[in-house]
Amino acid sequence: MTTAEQKQEPEFIQYKYPRTQHYWHALGYQTRAVEGFKQGKIMATKCSKCGRAMVPPRIVCPECYVEVTEWVDQGQRGKLVAAFKIGYPMYDRRTGESQVWDKPVVAVQMEGGALLDGWCSETDLDKLKPGLLLEAVWRPEEERIGAYDDVLHWKPVEK
Amino acid sequence: MTDKAVKPVVIEADSISTFQVTVGATGTKFLVEIRDNKRIMGIKCSSCGKVYVPPRSHCPTCCVKMSEWVELSGKGTLTTYTVVRYKEPYQPKEPPIIYGVIQLDGADTGIYGILGEVEPDKVKIGMRFEPVFKDEREGSLLDIDHFRPSS
Amino acid sequence: MAERIAITGVGQTYHKSKRKDVNAPELVTEAVEAALKDAQLTMKDIDFVVSGSFEMADGQYLPDMWILPEFGGVGKPGLKLQNAGTTGGVAAGAAFNYAASGMFNNVLCVTWQKMDEGQGAFGRGGGGLSEYWQSQIPMSPITNFARRTFAYLHNSGCTEEHFAITRVKQDQCALKNPYAQLKLNTTVEKVMESMALVWPIRYLHMCPSTAGAAAFIVSPENQAKKVTRKPVWVEDWFCAHVGGAFTMAEDPTLSTLRHGCEVVYKRNGITNVLKDIQAFEVYEPCSPAELRWMEEVGVCEDWTAWKLMEQGKVGIDKEIPFNPSGGVTATNPIGATPVIRIIEAALQIRDDAGEHQVPQTVNRALATAYGGQGENVIFLLRKSL
Repeated sequence: MTTAEQKQEPEFIQYKYPRTQHYWHALGYQTRAVEGFKQGKIMATKCSKCGRAMVPPRIVCPECYVEVTEWVDQGQRGKLVAAFKIGYPMYDRRTGESQVWDKPVVAVQMEGGALLDGWCSETDLDKLKPGLLLEAVWRPEEERIGAYDDVLHWKPVEK
Repeated sequence: MTDKAVKPVVIEADSISTFQVTVGATGTKFLVEIRDNKRIMGIKCSSCGKVYVPPRSHCPTCCVKMSEWVELSGKGTLTTYTVVRYKEPYQPKEPPIIYGVIQLDGADTGIYGILGEVEPDKVKIGMRFEPVFKDEREGSLLDIDHFRPSS
Repeated sequence: MAERIAITGVGQTYHKSKRKDVNAPELVTEAVEAALKDAQLTMKDIDFVVSGSFEMADGQYLPDMWILPEFGGVGKPGLKLQNAGTTGGVAAGAAFNYAASGMFNNVLCVTWQKMDEGQGAFGRGGGGLSEYWQSQIPMSPITNFARRTFAYLHNSGCTEEHFAITRVKQDQCALKNPYAQLKLNTTVEKVMESMALVWPIRYLHMCPSTAGAAAFIVSPENQAKKVTRKPVWVEDWFCAHVGGAFTMAEDPTLSTLRHGCEVVYKRNGITNVLKDIQAFEVYEPCSPAELRWMEEVGVCEDWTAWKLMEQGKVGIDKEIPFNPSGGVTATNPIGATPVIRIIEAALQIRDDAGEHQVPQTVNRALATAYGGQGENVIFLLRKSL
């Protein structure tokens, strides 16, 4: 055996395998929010005590611990709270593969008060300042599945 | 809160992750011997003398590291078995599959194997079996294609 | 009445990013053997085993069935705990409780993570949402810390350079720890030039993925005094959990660390944190987090930690001995990380930490576990009770 061969890393066997978890998620009262997304509406529950609006909806306010019964359409516009770009290929649990995400992720505070995450059409982070007014751009109705990314992206409102 | 206006739905979807399992140095030696030399190796505990197949690095009863490798003939005795008659995507063969546990001669533990060249209703506990290796081997327990009845 | 309890032996692996030469059970056995050797016990002496890992990150479900036989843990009473970041914290807490029950002489707590086997951890840390709602916008621990760090920049008035200074301090500590994984000998410039994963979090700010295991043995008072001349007494532990925030936009400073620390300080008569506690091992998954954690633990006022870091007052032989081991940014086998914090705190108390030993006498040390979006477990260890 030559010195070069001796220096080679010994063989260690590894097995690579994808593991798919198939799940059934009972939406229950959240169905109303899912149906809302499909119709191009953002529906939130609103606490009668503290006024907090929640997407995805909660049935009990985590702060006040009271039952939440009021549903409020959050409108189509909201203010930017935070924005960031995912600068590395991040794992997508829908496919099991790492993926490059071009659009920035934004947190939007809706006119109705709810906070939600989404994609932004503006890729220049310097232009994404807190308080910027954003508007929802929806996917075509036939592509919607009842989820956050039925909003294709959030677009800054031209003044 | 019951909401009579909307009928609750159940969403069905997949969540996928990719993993890789490390066999380790001890497991690698075992699989490489099968792949390259069609040889089944066991490992012997220096304290209690038990021979483990498949091998592990520590004896679970004595908690000592094992390093003495033992070459086995591959022939062994069936200690239990079952017949799988339904189909799942991860099964290596078409059903019916006879899964057996075979205690190889010279070993103190049983090893899983698929039994072949025998009808399910002819299999009896205590029967003798020997391994049939695949022609194309990749370093996996499935390199042993099946165990067939032997003398 | 509960027994007084002490840690009698500790052990950990030399942490690496990949360990192809061992499978998970073999890796775990390395840590168990080290802990048994430290306590001069054998598996025959162990009468209870608490085990834990972050299952999803390894992809091995019911891993205890596979792993416990390797080191002789089968047939003993035991408990398996699976969380994410706080796994080691709740496992250690459970071990302390079982030892304090007085029913067991030597309780083994063993935790591990073999992160070279899965990529799940980085995709699954969104926290708080159901699988359905969580799968839509990719969230991870990195994005969680990005929003926290963004808030820290905004509230404290510090600059990105201070995060780099913090990273260099952590790295300098890790260089002195033989078990640490990342020993970069890096500079402020290199940290600031490293890739922005999710701004303001950079590549060199974030903890690595690690294959490693950690274990300790804890015993009631009578047994502990028989086993070791250097028992490390467990003074208190407290588990503070909150539900995860629904979106990244919810309170970015949300943390139970401050609340948990207040509870244990009050219970144990700690009024001056820096005077009463001589070593801190706090679970900081990225460099900017260490600044905020310093404030929440109470070593300084809110939004001022970056000034202390800039003035060089934080380090092994400095005024504030915060994470002398190099911390989580150097080594992070998730399930085992909190147990490593406890081990490092115990080594400081025993005066056994070697090159990264805090020079002053450590009578009391604080260790924490962090997980999810704001869960914390807090431990207080003492030289004598």
